[in-house]
Amino acid sequence: MSSAATIAIVRCEHCHGRFLPPGGPCPRCGSSELVSGTIPAKATVLAATELLAPAAGWPNPHRLAIVEGAESVRILAIVPGDLPAPGAVVGVARVGDRYEVTGPDPERAPSSPRRPRN
Amino acid sequence: MKVAVTSTGVGRFGKRPESLLELLAEAGREALDGIGRKPVDLLVVGHMAGGSFSGVENTAAKLADQLGLDSGAGFRIEAASASGAAAFQAAVGLVAGGGYERALVVAGEKMTDLPNAEVAKVLARSLAASEIAHGATMPALAALVASRYLRRYELGEDAFDVVSVAARAAASRNPNAQFSTAVTADEVRASRPIALPLRLLHCSAVSDGAAAVVLERATGPAGVLGLGQSTDHVELVERPELTSFRATRLAAKRAYESAHQTRKELDFAELHDAFAPFAVIDLEDIGATGAGEGAAWFRDGSTGPDGRFPVNPSGGILGRGHPVGASGLVQIAEVARQLRGESGRMALAKRPRRGLAQSIGGLGSHNFVTILGNTGVGAA
Repeated sequence: MSSAATIAIVRCEHCHGRFLPPGGPCPRCGSSELVSGTIPAKATVLAATELLAPAAGWPNPHRLAIVEGAESVRILAIVPGDLPAPGAVVGVARVGDRYEVTGPDPERAPSSPRRPRN
Repeated sequence: MKVAVTSTGVGRFGKRPESLLELLAEAGREALDGIGRKPVDLLVVGHMAGGSFSGVENTAAKLADQLGLDSGAGFRIEAASASGAAAFQAAVGLVAGGGYERALVVAGEKMTDLPNAEVAKVLARSLAASEIAHGATMPALAALVASRYLRRYELGEDAFDVVSVAARAAASRNPNAQFSTAVTADEVRASRPIALPLRLLHCSAVSDGAAAVVLERATGPAGVLGLGQSTDHVELVERPELTSFRATRLAAKRAYESAHQTRKELDFAELHDAFAPFAVIDLEDIGATGAGEGAAWFRDGSTGPDGRFPVNPSGGILGRGHPVGASGLVQIAEVARQLRGESGRMALAKRPRRGLAQSIGGLGSHNFVTILGNTGVGAA
């Protein structure tokens, strides 16, 4: 992934919440004062799971992660490869209407990743 | 106006041949028999997805017919897997408001008519569309919560095993529970992986069952002291915290405020343990323990039937089975039974005076807390 890769987000002008498109009104405050923006397409893994009883139509195993990118934006993403360890920095991309972890971030965190809120 | 639970009905949970309406009627009849068939003027029914699971709608009128409650008032309430708690809280409001004298609240679900894959699909409909689009299931999202919890508090993958062991031990004393046999920690560890770190014995079972209570304008050992509920963002990633359910914390705060009580004044709780880590999180969210301390309480026996704060003496959802619409109400019925001295082999070492029931709807997006306690003779 190039260093210019980004993920589209929506910023709420009213409560300063951040969320993923398509969005609006703001799920936190109901405001329609929304501005489109982007964040870098890399994020820290907060949690990951391997489903061995996946929903119908999904591969077995099916892997999912919750990752956190810049501005505390959290993303539920499919993990096509090996399950990353919580705390790892990974690339993330939007593929159709889904998000996918694209593997370890090639730039590998020049500064230590921001500590998640919990 | 004071309102109390004056009678309860709890059917057997597990795979049952009866229809949803028959299960609801069975629990309802037991509760009505308990008040000598005095007339009720309100029927409130709770189920999550009777249309999808059982092909049944218009349940209040159909159940009224089954129970011979002619020309009364009633309706059905839905709040995902907290539907039973929602039905109870709605009925309390209507009776306390003075519009009705005596209400029958009945909640249940009939899930085993569908194959498990179809059941999972129906349950997942209470998740966000974006979550379903990623192939998320209830256990998958619960596993992500568990994964984050273990990481945050630096616990091993076996931290939640003790919850399943305790639930099954308690359920072995509950004649209505789906699971009558205890399990060991080794058996939990050896059970098949569902959504790591969750294994089969960390997850509640698909089940059929129903419960009922009668609510009256009255005082008594199972008086309604406080109610609280809250929604939260349905998408897990929209919530500021992953290791705690804000909807439970707000529901508990509102319930404590309306009851003019604190957690310290409670003697025990029935908590929503659809997945073992939820019982740990619930214990923290109702304020019984600090964040990250819940698992230790299960480990050291604090939550046992003779512990300092007993949890789920009925076996909880893990042991009793999880007919989703029933779970929120059967918890309240079991709390009322403990307070009324009607719990048989499940009775706590010391007869409690106040208890709490906490119910989770969806993946923590609509949660309820109900506090019952003595409002009759000798009430504080």
